[in-house]
Amino acid sequence: MAQILVVDDSSTVRNEVGDFLKKNGLEVLLAVDGRDGLVKLKGDAGIKLVLSDVNMPNMDGLTMAEKIRSELNNNSVNIIMLTTENSPIMKERGKAAGIKGWIVKPFKGDAVLATFKKLVGV
Amino acid sequence: MNAPAQLVSKILVLENSADCYDRIKVFCDLNGLVGLKVQGEHVMSVLRSNVDLGGILMSISYSDSESSGIALARRIHAVRPELPIFLRCEKKAAESAGNAAELSAADRKLFACTYLIDDTAGLRAAIETSIFSQVYPNVLVRGITEITRSALESQFKEMSIDVEPPYLVRDRIIFGEIFTLIPIESSWCRGYMMLDAGEEPMLQLVRANRTHANADANGGSDFRNLNNVLGEITNLIWGAFRNRYISYVDSQVSSAQVPIIINHLHRYISFGSDDAQLCFKYTLTDKNDSNALSRTIHQRFIFNLNWSPEDFMENQASIEALFESGELELF
Repeated sequence: MAQILVVDDSSTVRNEVGDFLKKNGLEVLLAVDGRDGLVKLKGDAGIKLVLSDVNMPNMDGLTMAEKIRSELNNNSVNIIMLTTENSPIMKERGKAAGIKGWIVKPFKGDAVLATFKKLVGV
Repeated sequence: MNAPAQLVSKILVLENSADCYDRIKVFCDLNGLVGLKVQGEHVMSVLRSNVDLGGILMSISYSDSESSGIALARRIHAVRPELPIFLRCEKKAAESAGNAAELSAADRKLFACTYLIDDTAGLRAAIETSIFSQVYPNVLVRGITEITRSALESQFKEMSIDVEPPYLVRDRIIFGEIFTLIPIESSWCRGYMMLDAGEEPMLQLVRANRTHANADANGGSDFRNLNNVLGEITNLIWGAFRNRYISYVDSQVSSAQVPIIINHLHRYISFGSDDAQLCFKYTLTDKNDSNALSRTIHQRFIFNLNWSPEDFMENQASIEALFESGELELF
């Protein structure tokens, strides 16, 4: 069972973030877009944190967050967006979907690791 | 508008007269041009190399091993029609030999202007029109280098990034084997950003685990790994550009588009505009080995659909956010 689901259409970002989390003792699952993220989350009850890009093909990260709450009826998983976007409008939409936080890329793992661990309960 | 950036442009100087060359050199220094003197037999090979030119200054009496004067200009124009040629004539039009009046109507079209060495006012005006027609706010130019440096540093491990002073080019040649394109859309500018690099030198960095691309079963030699790295760098630059320079309530963006034409045989890309392109050259060097091969990435901004620098603005809040990138904003 994974603890963190990383959703990003860029394999470079999936590798970068996934490798960093694994090196720090966390179990990670990867998804390539929002649609894939929903499937992976539905199939793994251990996931406590979803770390997702916003702009992705097939299904964007904010739509995925909304569907996690509405279609999967999962209100407990923490969702954090990891994106180049910094638009207040998008952040408001994310807040409405119950996301926990927002990180503007590039990813700096050391700055957020402690919070991630806290959110997954380790 | 914010203060314009001081930009330069490289220009080939094809000149036989030592006296005129010295005077042209002074003219270049005064007008933001970096003159590159070339021997006749090397002209065509220089045009095939990665020089990123803004134009060509040539004398009507100049010759190379194959052709002279106007004939050489015809050959240059045939292979590089995007490069403006500024022709130095020997005498005024009313006099006989070596003047612009001798040119046929077809040959006149080869040149952005003709001029005499004693009267460069027309040349200066033609260069302004042909190369420096678009001015760029200094804040924007400086910001682009900051944004790009940050993106490159985040994707290449233990590499130092140096950037040359920005410059303008009229070249339309794709020099690297791999290039990325992303649309730039706002109410004050519309066009594209292009990154351009050679594949093998960059792929060596992937194989050496100096990027975040996973080395695969082939030792990271799959070109798609490099595609992904450059794609992510492009995404990071565009994202930071958007956050810093495009208003969040920017709703007056035109939807007009023009075809982008790529001719693989000639390695030529057209954005449907004759304006010079804003270019940056980044050099990546191993922090731990200064003797190691350096890598180069060229970055071009082509504002072919709209350029209205008078409406340029910088989002102050996003500048602060730029320096806080990677930090978590909790809701």
